[in-house]
Amino acid sequence: MLSFAFKNMAIKKMQVILVVVSIVISAGVAVLAYNTANQVRDGITDTAGWYSAIIGPAGSKTQLAMNTMYFTDEPLGTIPYAAVTELQRDSRVKRVIPYAMADSYNGYRVVGTVSDYLEKKEIADGRLFDDSALYEVVLGASVAKVCDVTVGDEIFTSHSASEEHHEPLKVVGVLKETHSVFDRVVFTQLKTIWAVHEHEEEEHHEEEEHEHEHMENSVCAAVVTTKNPAFAMTLVNDYNGRVLTDGDGDSCTLQAIEPMETVRSILEETNSTKYIVYVLCAIILIMNVMVISIITLLNMVHSAKEIALMRLIGISMKKINLLYILQNGLIGLVSVVLAFGVSKLCLVFMDSYASSMGVVLNVAKVYPLELAILALVFAIAVLPTVVCTFVLARRDGIHE
Amino acid sequence: MINITGLSKTFQNETALDYKDMVFETGKSYMLLGASGCGKSTLLNMIAGVLSPDRGSILIDGTDMSAAPQKEKDKFRIEKIGFIFQDFKLIDDMTVADNINILRLEGVDTAAMDELLRRLGIFEKKNKKVRHLSGGQKQRVAIARALVKSPDIILADEPTGNLNYAIGEQVIRELVQAAQGKTLIAVTHDERLRPYFDCVIDMNDVTGSPYDVDSGKAVE
Repeated sequence: MLSFAFKNMAIKKMQVILVVVSIVISAGVAVLAYNTANQVRDGITDTAGWYSAIIGPAGSKTQLAMNTMYFTDEPLGTIPYAAVTELQRDSRVKRVIPYAMADSYNGYRVVGTVSDYLEKKEIADGRLFDDSALYEVVLGASVAKVCDVTVGDEIFTSHSASEEHHEPLKVVGVLKETHSVFDRVVFTQLKTIWAVHEHEEEEHHEEEEHEHEHMENSVCAAVVTTKNPAFAMTLVNDYNGRVLTDGDGDSCTLQAIEPMETVRSILEETNSTKYIVYVLCAIILIMNVMVISIITLLNMVHSAKEIALMRLIGISMKKINLLYILQNGLIGLVSVVLAFGVSKLCLVFMDSYASSMGVVLNVAKVYPLELAILALVFAIAVLPTVVCTFVLARRDGIHE
Repeated sequence: MINITGLSKTFQNETALDYKDMVFETGKSYMLLGASGCGKSTLLNMIAGVLSPDRGSILIDGTDMSAAPQKEKDKFRIEKIGFIFQDFKLIDDMTVADNINILRLEGVDTAAMDELLRRLGIFEKKNKKVRHLSGGQKQRVAIARALVKSPDIILADEPTGNLNYAIGEQVIRELVQAAQGKTLIAVTHDERLRPYFDCVIDMNDVTGSPYDVDSGKAVE
């Protein structure tokens, strides 16, 4: 029966291709939209949930949150390291992670921090950088893969596209792939960032002005975990708006944010856009369901002569039903599998765009509703056939 | 043997068939003659179990198939009946072989296909699509499909209707020859084909029993 089903499909290949393409487009778009929207939301909120507060320079809350948590956007500026020291002394604080970002390596951000920041990350090769040693770096999995760098290699970071630092940094470890923003970052000791910039400043000491910011003893932000979640709000209230003065007499106003609250407000602002996308996807899905049903019904009407013929020569209704259900089941199955594959392929391409928002799309991530959408599309592809063959096969072939 | 008793069939208040008793003996070939609308095709369809009579019975080897449930009629048709149609009833976009192998859906053994196609002179067309065949070749494919399962009864509804006389005569000769030892009932308008059949029944004036072709009298 299977071989006959294939032969029967082969003689109607244009109709079959049309149905497959319709299903692939409708199911693929629906699954892709749902998966992407959810991965972006999950990625953003998951990361935000790791921290109680972020302390940085005054400015845009969103920029501070996006830059610190997702390594995206530009840093707002710097705050004196004294702020970190003060936070470390605060009895409400469990842990403070200083954070500096000034350079890049082949387009990937270089983040200066402490090794504690990566303590929960698994190392695929090598080790974490030593907090007491300079010029050591740990690479995110994608950085190592794309740039073809392994443990023991030396890399040169740059402050801008035309300004490469002369100090080589030694790769001491590569993080295990996590399908998160960490895959796309180069991590090093905070002091390494300071040292690289200090070295550069010495080289250019004769220049009256230089473009580098004064990095030593300053950080872009500090991410804080409190001993009790309830402390977060008071901590933010205490630090937000506080003015600090550095050794040079320059003053700096701090900004403190609760990352979860900031992310929630960002997501709320984008909610209406998300619903528009959902509605558009639903419309596409409904239209394609109609197209699939109409094509399937037309195919079945065209098959009426064939079914009548089979009835005349004695093929039973049961076998005719089975044959057409098998045919359309195969078409439906191949289509939804293709739709799923195409949606995953699109995710790969969309990953580079999503990563600019600090979210890495995991191609292997499948949500239960995605499978439900595919199952629904499969059912829609097969159900009209069941009804049609049942009606057609019940008729006497002689009247066709 | 097929025993038909008091058979009647009406379509939308118009009587398509209203005959008395008829008998078709096993191993003989019968030619049914008659004007259009006299119920020849209806009779074949009722024997095949495609249509059910309004009144009367059709006993085939003692079993009343007209009263059997549809499932049993289907089984009987696939196992015992070889049906050949005027318009061939073939799937044009499929090959000759696939049109015959379609019977495998019901578990019919089509091993005799090659031999039959050779006998009918169309073996070399086996893998050609039906739409590329001539009318005569298509009718031979239909005959091969009807005979491949070695049915006890062969029903042919105007098998030469779409063919010219020369080809029609050849097809009938091949059909009668291939149906040796089986019951063959063929509907045709062409009286020139009489010599190929054991019995000829004129459906216009049939009173119940088939006529013997030689004597012109009803068979006892």
